[in-house]
Amino acid sequence: MARRSIAIYGKGGIGKSTTTQNTVAALAEAGKKIMVVGCDPKADSTRLLLGGLAQKTVLDTLRDEGGDEVDLNEILRPGYGNVQCTESGGPEPGVGCAGRGIITSINLLEQLGAYDQELDYVFYDVLGDVVCGGFAMPIREGKAKEIYIVCSGEMMAMYAANNISKGVVKFAQAGGVRLGGIICNSRKVDNEQEMIEEFAKRLGTQMIHFVPRNNDVQRAEINRKTVIEWNPACEQADEYRALARAIDNNQKFVVPTPLPMDDLEKLLIDFGLVDGVAPGTEVVA
Amino acid sequence: MLLRHTTDEVLERTSLTINPAKTCQPVGAMYAALGLHNCLPHSHGSQGCCSYHRSALTKHYKEPVMAATSSFTEGASVFGGQANLLQAITTIFTLYNPDVIAVHTTCLSETIGDDLVQIIAKAVAEGKVPEGKHVIHASTPSYQGSHVTGFSNMAKALVTYFADPEAAKSKQITLMPGWVEPSDMRELKNLAARLGVEVTLYPDTSDVLDTPHTGKHEFYPKGGATVEQIKASGGSLAAIGMGPSASQAALEALQSKCGVPGTLLELPIGLQATDRFIDTLRTLAGVEVPQSITDERGRLLDVISDMHQYLHGKRVAIFGDPDQLVSLVEFLNLLDMKPVYIVTGTPTPQFETRIQTALGGNVPEAKIKAGLQADMYLLHQWIKQESVDLLIGNTYGKYIARDEDIPFIRHGFPILDRVGHSYFPSVGYAGAMRLLEKILGAFMDRQDRDAPEERFELTM
Amino acid sequence: MSVDPRVLKEEILQIYPKKLRQKRSDSIVINEHREDGTVPEIKANVRSNPGIITQRGCTYAGCKGVVIGPSRDILSLVHGPIGCSFYAWLTRRNQTRPESPEAQNFINYCLSTDMQEENIVFGGEKKLKEAVREAFHLFHPKAIAIFSTCPVGLIGDDVHAVAREMKAELGINIFGFSCEGYRGVSQSAGHHIANNGLFKHIIGNDETPHPEKFKVNLLGEYNIGGDGFVLEDILSRCGIKQISTFSGNSTYDTMANSHTADLNLVMCHRSINYVAEMMEKRFGIPWMKVNFIGATATAKSLRRIGEYFEDDGLKARIEEVIAEEMAKVEAVQAVVKSRCQGKTAMLFVGGSRAHHYQQLFTEIGMKTVVAGYEFGHRDDYEGRKVLPGLKVDADSKNIEEIDVVPDPERYRPRRTPEQIAKLEAKTEMEFRDYVGMMPEMDSDAMVIDDISHYETERILEAYRPDIFCAGIKEKFGVQKMGIPCKQLHSYDYGGPYAGFAGAINFFNDIDRLVNMKIWRYATPPWQPPTQQPEQVAAD
Repeated sequence: MARRSIAIYGKGGIGKSTTTQNTVAALAEAGKKIMVVGCDPKADSTRLLLGGLAQKTVLDTLRDEGGDEVDLNEILRPGYGNVQCTESGGPEPGVGCAGRGIITSINLLEQLGAYDQELDYVFYDVLGDVVCGGFAMPIREGKAKEIYIVCSGEMMAMYAANNISKGVVKFAQAGGVRLGGIICNSRKVDNEQEMIEEFAKRLGTQMIHFVPRNNDVQRAEINRKTVIEWNPACEQADEYRALARAIDNNQKFVVPTPLPMDDLEKLLIDFGLVDGVAPGTEVVA
Repeated sequence: MLLRHTTDEVLERTSLTINPAKTCQPVGAMYAALGLHNCLPHSHGSQGCCSYHRSALTKHYKEPVMAATSSFTEGASVFGGQANLLQAITTIFTLYNPDVIAVHTTCLSETIGDDLVQIIAKAVAEGKVPEGKHVIHASTPSYQGSHVTGFSNMAKALVTYFADPEAAKSKQITLMPGWVEPSDMRELKNLAARLGVEVTLYPDTSDVLDTPHTGKHEFYPKGGATVEQIKASGGSLAAIGMGPSASQAALEALQSKCGVPGTLLELPIGLQATDRFIDTLRTLAGVEVPQSITDERGRLLDVISDMHQYLHGKRVAIFGDPDQLVSLVEFLNLLDMKPVYIVTGTPTPQFETRIQTALGGNVPEAKIKAGLQADMYLLHQWIKQESVDLLIGNTYGKYIARDEDIPFIRHGFPILDRVGHSYFPSVGYAGAMRLLEKILGAFMDRQDRDAPEERFELTM
Repeated sequence: MSVDPRVLKEEILQIYPKKLRQKRSDSIVINEHREDGTVPEIKANVRSNPGIITQRGCTYAGCKGVVIGPSRDILSLVHGPIGCSFYAWLTRRNQTRPESPEAQNFINYCLSTDMQEENIVFGGEKKLKEAVREAFHLFHPKAIAIFSTCPVGLIGDDVHAVAREMKAELGINIFGFSCEGYRGVSQSAGHHIANNGLFKHIIGNDETPHPEKFKVNLLGEYNIGGDGFVLEDILSRCGIKQISTFSGNSTYDTMANSHTADLNLVMCHRSINYVAEMMEKRFGIPWMKVNFIGATATAKSLRRIGEYFEDDGLKARIEEVIAEEMAKVEAVQAVVKSRCQGKTAMLFVGGSRAHHYQQLFTEIGMKTVVAGYEFGHRDDYEGRKVLPGLKVDADSKNIEEIDVVPDPERYRPRRTPEQIAKLEAKTEMEFRDYVGMMPEMDSDAMVIDDISHYETERILEAYRPDIFCAGIKEKFGVQKMGIPCKQLHSYDYGGPYAGFAGAINFFNDIDRLVNMKIWRYATPPWQPPTQQPEQVAAD
């Protein structure tokens, strides 16, 4: 099987890291060889797989040792299901350039041979929106070929997803990156599943899975574990297994068609979010 | 005193570089791109970068150096340089009609994170790149490596963009000369021709940066490797890369992309390195070395043996680019001279090991430093602690040479105050002879200048 | 003249895509002297089109390279990757002559923080602070200037905060410049930023009084090739005390003390007029534009200084110096003129030189047919009278405009408005004014701002001038065409060209260049003579 490289994007706080790690855990459980590259300066993209924060990020080694003679084993550690975990890391908030940090760390990982091992999947978990060139790094130069956007029925999440789609269009021309689907991480918004299905359709893609809200996720997180590891028998574990299967079997990869702002707002209105409109705003339905 | 504030007391520095023995990546990329025929180098960054690099190369060669820039202003720095580069591509093909635009990045566009692959693809998709024309790129962040790294990155880009894995297999051998002068590139081709070996050499700046005066300015001079030649190099019998810092990346790229077996040599400067180059070429191509080359080698040996008394035991301080230094040090060691201080600002893995190998254990007192804070200020401090008989390096060395009254030979980049480097090689046996003549001339002029009248020699 | 500049302009513009064509059309102007005394409007100080091959450099080059760099005892530390500091290392030929063998002189040193990848990712302030400390301990300077390069602005290192902190820690004057390369459309933005820094951090720091009667500052003279030395000599022979020069052959102390002068003389208008304006507002020192390039211009400028101080003794000394020097100049001028009369020149350089040097060519009978600036503004072309109508565009808004008010203690108007008006009426001198290049060029001369390489080739083909003046990047391409090219940034490593002695040097150099034998040997005897591309009859 050819290696698949996947980047997970989505609005900050939408549950990207949790979704990614649970999905990865499900794939690992199914015997896949996986590497997860955390591309968030907070370095918490592999916490659940490792059972705690990664000890040393890629950029820590650059800070401490200038990037010379770094031992790959220091920054690439096996977690649940032998998933290889690494965190880009980054500067403290307010200094330096976090975006450049991601470029730097992926280059360094390549130099150090992190990609030379036999892998079925590489997952990139990327901070929030694509705010600058650095955060687009995982989808540049064919690094990640597939994008999944984590979304919910909340307006800002959909707005961000639409924006990320614009980024994908831009990079689709060069690197051949494609959108694989929208993962709906439910926030229990009215008509959420239908709306995201429609939203995905308008984007030219699919809602690849609807992950219901379930407090077991929180319980597992408190124990620094994915639900797959914490309680393999629970219902939520099956949801992630389903998501993992859907990704594993996915054949639908598209260049998305982002929605004009008006259409996006209309979609929200059509699915009954009128209540959410600020008072005094005239609504034409 | 020109450098009156330099003292012999070395205080450890962690953050300050003074009088650097290197410059930044993009100028190397620009130089390498000039070694491609009908190519316009393009600097993706602020205007100053392009202006400074063109000036530096022009002052070194006294030749026109054409290159364009993306002219970033504040807006491009915030929104990215895509619009600027797309506009530049259109303008360049309209006004200057090159076969290739070779884009290199800068610290600015690298920090912004401009994705050159994506921007170039967009230009192609939008029809901004005419049929049969190319836009290529190398990533050259100024805060990594040095000008040598930039050369290496652009040389590698020539391979990754052009070398064709499907090219017809040939007996031809690909030579990657590293960062040497146009005269050196010409000499390497000459040597191969005299051996009867068909070669393609790239980057090749001969007939680009040493062009004749004809009454006409050729915007694209006749020299430079062509895209077709580089494509065809994918079918080469073998490839030789000269100097690991400047050529290893391209050599390995050609091997992995096209399966061309690569041999990495040190730059063929001095007797032994030239011996290895000639012998490698002979073996790979299965040819005999003609008597004329053997004779040339013999003449070099003859002068060394005749003039050894002026060379033996002389202490030398030398600074410059790592690949050049390794071969020069090996040559100086062969002459029984003592290279005691060796400095390069270019961070170089294995530098000390390579130098020690070149020294063959003959100069245990040698001080060697590469990378950060390995600068001319430190070199000068070492000289102040214990002086040397000869200084070798680029033009900036003349400030040390004058203050310390040391004979000085110019070698490396940039040479801003003498001519000759573009025209007379320092590679090969002929190059070694020229180096030898310069070294002897420096020592003998000094002896003539300083000798008391009663000891002023007629014959030397 | 067989070239019709209007036709040529249209031919040149044809190749450009529509939008660019309009833009370049506004920057290529055929000069005319209108009845109302105005000249045509030119578009200048606007962005260069990416890819066009411009002569221009960056903001950092204007700030560090041009204005601050020439001062010998301000320690310049460049915060950035190594290249920026390397390329500005001794490359502008700013000569300097320390007072003694022990006096501080940092001009031959190149200092950099040599930023590495980790400094970009994690921020470079810590390294900068440490570099300042190291520089202080090694050099013990009076002042350290920190220059920001492109990535510094992006990652948000605060060089001003670092400067303040280090100033407090080390007890010397330390100041920063936000002169990232991308700040403006050319070097010009850097000049302005440097002017602001000089004014905020240096000028007025030293109150040492001077007893001399006639005290001036020379602004915008960078002592390239020793021009400043020539002018120092002339001024001192006239009995004029030069408090400071900005910034050729200067020291920190002379600049700190410059507000004690009674008149500011502005040479390079573009690079230093902001300081002149601010000093007048805060300290009451009038400024006037001078031109010491060309013997006639030098004499005129000296006489104006005499008029300003209204002292007969001074005027007499000035006349003596002029008489003595003029005799020497005229002897050479006569010989050179006989060989150069009727020849043509083109000048594309700087923000003042393309104007000033026309005077020198005129003195040997040569005419400037096309000229333009690399980084000038409209006022440098059309005169300062256009200033009130100038729009501040987005690229200029980046640069701080300092709000200057009269100094409560030190504001001392050297002349009353009435005295100034009287002086202006009596002679042809103007204060706070610069007439600009175009009013002093012929009608029908072509004026091109920020000329591209393509345009350069076209005008060279059309006019075949006898000499082209520009910089190092242009020089060798032009010479390949068989047209001599004189560098007017670096003077081809010759000079000085200022003042009377400089004029003699210049005349001899131009004579040598335009009459060099070698241009005639491009064709070997075994080839048919090449068709010289339609030589324009200059007469």
